[in-house]
Amino acid sequence: MALTSHPLLSALRRNPTGAVLIALQIGITLAILVNAAAIVTRAIQKMSRPSGVDTRDTFVMTMVGLSKNFNVYSTSSADLAYLRHLPGVAAASIVFGTPLTDNGSDTSVGRSPGSRGPTVTSALLPVDQQGLRTLDVALIAGRNFRGSEIRVPSAAHPDPRIGEVIVTQALAHALFAHQSALGQTIYVGSHTPSTIIGITRNFMGPQLGQHAYDTVLAPEIVTQYDMYDLLVRTRPGQRAAVFRAAKRHIGTADPNAVIGQAVTFAHAKRLLYSGLRDLAIFLSFLTLVMLALCCLGIFGLGTFNVATRTRQIGIRRALGARRRDIVALFLAENALVVAIGAIFGCLLALAIGQWLTDHDGVARLDPWYLLVGVAILALTSQLAAWQPARRAARIPPSVATRTI
Amino acid sequence: MLEMHNISKVYRTDMIETHALREFSLQVAAGEFVAVSGPSGSGKTTFLNVAGLLETFDGGTYRLDGQDVSGLSDNARARIRNEKIGFVFQSFNLIADLDIFDNVDVPLRYRRMKADERKARITNSLELVGLTSRMRHLPSQLSGGQQQRAAIARAIAGDPALILADEPTGNLDSLMARQIMGLLEKINSMGTTVVLVTHDPELARRAQRNIHVIDGLVADTVAPSDPAARGPHGQTHAESAVD
Repeated sequence: MALTSHPLLSALRRNPTGAVLIALQIGITLAILVNAAAIVTRAIQKMSRPSGVDTRDTFVMTMVGLSKNFNVYSTSSADLAYLRHLPGVAAASIVFGTPLTDNGSDTSVGRSPGSRGPTVTSALLPVDQQGLRTLDVALIAGRNFRGSEIRVPSAAHPDPRIGEVIVTQALAHALFAHQSALGQTIYVGSHTPSTIIGITRNFMGPQLGQHAYDTVLAPEIVTQYDMYDLLVRTRPGQRAAVFRAAKRHIGTADPNAVIGQAVTFAHAKRLLYSGLRDLAIFLSFLTLVMLALCCLGIFGLGTFNVATRTRQIGIRRALGARRRDIVALFLAENALVVAIGAIFGCLLALAIGQWLTDHDGVARLDPWYLLVGVAILALTSQLAAWQPARRAARIPPSVATRTI
Repeated sequence: MLEMHNISKVYRTDMIETHALREFSLQVAAGEFVAVSGPSGSGKTTFLNVAGLLETFDGGTYRLDGQDVSGLSDNARARIRNEKIGFVFQSFNLIADLDIFDNVDVPLRYRRMKADERKARITNSLELVGLTSRMRHLPSQLSGGQQQRAAIARAIAGDPALILADEPTGNLDSLMARQIMGLLEKINSMGTTVVLVTHDPELARRAQRNIHVIDGLVADTVAPSDPAARGPHGQTHAESAVD
């Protein structure tokens, strides 16, 4: 198209303000686009992770004691007995902290006592012998807890020992890599050894973080606090009916307790990810708005250039430029501005990415995001410049001989 | 070189039709220096636009350098403008953003010449007009005469068969005007056909032939050297009309 950079640069040098402003806008847009895309992608990946539990047919009720007469153990036992005999219930269990609810405790788990050796931060999920069945989580090795192994420590008789534990596959791998974890001794938040008697397939614990699949299940009914969680899985399609019946009965069975929270797993999952989802939507919208503003800026600059360079375009046409040469000239000028903006934008994007890594611990910005971001911006900006360039190409060569 | 037969050109608006050229016929031989003169609004610029393929025409036939240019595509017309015609405009029409070297380079780039050849042609043409030392100056840094010389360098750099000059001295003082005319005559003496559109009788008189245009028609053709063509005060018919 008979173009080289030198005359293009000369033209830009003569009228730099508009070009510099647009290049700055492109750079800032690119930096935000790239980092927003990385954040949104990570959020989508996080939200797309399989929960590993039955979110369609499971719900949890958190019961809270109201008076000194409240007896956690007796009330929870009565509730559990009711639920297990309720038609439509597949399994029910008392737990303390449940997956997807952002409600639970975590602990450090290691192969050595205390703080010696490496540890893994893991969710601690106290369950009874029906816990796995209620969660609909299958064992891939070992066995489930027996009824005799379920401990009921109380505030009056605390018992920090956890003799047997079941761990998720992810935690087993984190602790023992390619060795078999079954039968191994681990230390769960204390100096007391515990033996791994079972390994489950992965499921998400209460936390969203990077250790979401690292969970240790302890055979325990927690009664130290005036609250407990009733976890219920229904038969397919029965959840709504069971949920209503359970709320109605359990909510009034013991005058010393109330339902603090009753939530389905599906809703809990939505709530758990609502922040991430809102962030992803906001950043996507913001990026699109910035991209649109950038395109408007380029369109505006192109239109301004056509309006102010009508005679020059006519002269070029008179001297032999074809319409496509004029289009190419404007697109090349635009590409030069975009290239300058893209260089600035890449540096800014890397700086922002580094800042996010340093302050929020997010992964370092993948260079692919830069490449794709530059490609998207280059394409959209050329599309934005296309219409003014086409208009320029329609300027007739006879403009060159007009004296006004 | 240039053969026009019964060319007509009509400008139309919703309300008005303006016949800028009517059955306009003209032949210019290769190597000739022809002036086209006439009063304002007579059709001189329209003739130049049609002759330079800057505008299409509505009727008649036009052969340029032996080629029928009626009905050519926009691209083909651009190619002929680029290869066969050099333009010199009244207001110089240099591109303000580019220095003189790059201005002269513009038509050569559109011809897709190699850089070495372009550079040689630019240097030669700037040397011919005496602007070698100013090649890296911007147009705004030159005088009017120098700018027009640069425009002439741009017109001849591509070695065109025809130079179309539209009032090339209109924006210059008389001394500069004489220099520019001298330059055009020099270019003509090297074999390039020159068609000069002017309303200045003195300039028209320096051409080998003067075509007088009135109301879009060729009113008269005068060879200034022909004494029979002189008017009562010694000027040509064309000059009488202009005066």
